[in-house]
Amino acid sequence: MTDQIREQLSALLDGELPRDEMGLLMRRLDKDPELRRAFGSYALIGEALRAPGGRIAAPSFAARVSAAIGDAPAIAEKTSTARPAAAVPLQQQAALWKRPIVRTALAAGAAVTAVLLFRPDGTPVAQREVTPANSFAMSASPTPAQTQRLAGYLVAHSQFSTPMVRRNVLSSLLAADPGITRVSHEMGEAP
Amino acid sequence: MRGAATRRAAVCVAACLLAFSASAEDDARAWIERMSESLATRNYDGLFTHSTGRQAETMRIVHRVDEGKSFERLVSLDGSGREIVRTREEVHAYLPDRRVVIVEPRGDDGSLLKSLPTPGPALDRNYQLVVGPKGSRLLGREVRVIDVRPRDIYRYGYRLWLDEDTAMPLQSIVTNGIGNPIEIIRFTQLQMKDRIPAHDIEPTVDATGFQWIRTGRKLAAMPQLPRNGGWRPMRLPPGFRLVTSRLQPIPGSPMPAQHLIFSDGIAAISVFIEPGAQTGPRPPETSSMGSANAYSTSVHGHVVTAIGEVPAATVREIANSVAPVQGSAVPADFPAGSAR
Repeated sequence: MTDQIREQLSALLDGELPRDEMGLLMRRLDKDPELRRAFGSYALIGEALRAPGGRIAAPSFAARVSAAIGDAPAIAEKTSTARPAAAVPLQQQAALWKRPIVRTALAAGAAVTAVLLFRPDGTPVAQREVTPANSFAMSASPTPAQTQRLAGYLVAHSQFSTPMVRRNVLSSLLAADPGITRVSHEMGEAP
Repeated sequence: MRGAATRRAAVCVAACLLAFSASAEDDARAWIERMSESLATRNYDGLFTHSTGRQAETMRIVHRVDEGKSFERLVSLDGSGREIVRTREEVHAYLPDRRVVIVEPRGDDGSLLKSLPTPGPALDRNYQLVVGPKGSRLLGREVRVIDVRPRDIYRYGYRLWLDEDTAMPLQSIVTNGIGNPIEIIRFTQLQMKDRIPAHDIEPTVDATGFQWIRTGRKLAAMPQLPRNGGWRPMRLPPGFRLVTSRLQPIPGSPMPAQHLIFSDGIAAISVFIEPGAQTGPRPPETSSMGSANAYSTSVHGHVVTAIGEVPAATVREIANSVAPVQGSAVPADFPAGSAR
């Protein structure tokens, strides 16, 4: 991936890509899985910097972001002395929302690693688990058959949702690792 | 005399407040209707991030309207390669990580008119609707923030950032009962277009060798409901009403599932009742997919699954109350505070 493409991807995520460049980039994204992966990782960097309180903490998250950073070694080397975000005062964090965040992050290289691994409160992001709204007695990964069955139900259900909720529901189905995030087997007999 | 004047003034103020409140609710409902109409009837191409408490994904949505029918492609740009395409007749969900394509006939038959939601005047019985002041900006656009706050614990809330001109949601947050975000969709790019070429809706997944699973058929081709009349949940949260019911084929099973759809104007809940497995009753299962929750349990030798964009406790209560219909076709509301 060339620096130009990388720059275009990050500008796209920052909402700063000129319209006349957007169509071509979209077509390239459609055709190039590698480019899609890189783009997704860049978006994750932006989300990580925007997200309050370590909200994003998927097990593979740090690895994916690290891979994204590894995808831009030349840039990272140039800026390896950047100040770690852990030392950035909280009031300056708000400013991150207003900056071209993805480009800033990619240009920061090593600093991004610090942002991702240690938030301002010092909590390691990759180890910070978000407590689910509802917890259950036991949890296990869904089997392929369970995933398939629920995916079918979800698609059928989405046909009867409002347009906005349908988009939310189907987006959840598209989400990777894994699409269905929690399956619990409750103890005891069904009522 | 002074007391009567005071009472009249109080009544007047109360009436004004009620009128203002009703007007505000009407205004919010109008924004929601405009948003739904834009989502269903406009041509657009956008990139957004979908974030939950556990993960974030980047996705692209392309929505095309042609001769009164809507087409859509939703694709994950983030490695899984999953893709959902709404064609003229069907919905195709490509899951390359499972080497599976799930095919479902479109419930709305592609008609824009039928796909439009009906929030209805009863919406404010279940949600408090609030329109924010002018002046907010997002993505360089003027937006209006709309709060849809649930009045009880059986449904989620929504905060919507709607474009002033088009009412397209540039950002939306789903919140739980205590107002914490559980799902965020934030556009990073959104282009409204006069025309979107047909090839932009074609899937990019190479599905060669994939298993194609048809989970539904056209209703006309389906067998009739069994003579025993079907099943119903005996308890429903306030405001949820049966929208429709149909039969849903199950891959590998000669018997279809009964599919009931309930809605409160914003959220929908599906209940599937399928003949039980020969291996006996299964333990209850709870699943979570973004803001959607599902709960499966065994009832009278059948597997009952409730799924919807509502809290896990709500789908659990509904699934556990499902029973064969015996005279009482009108489900009761949830007793107050019964959701756990």
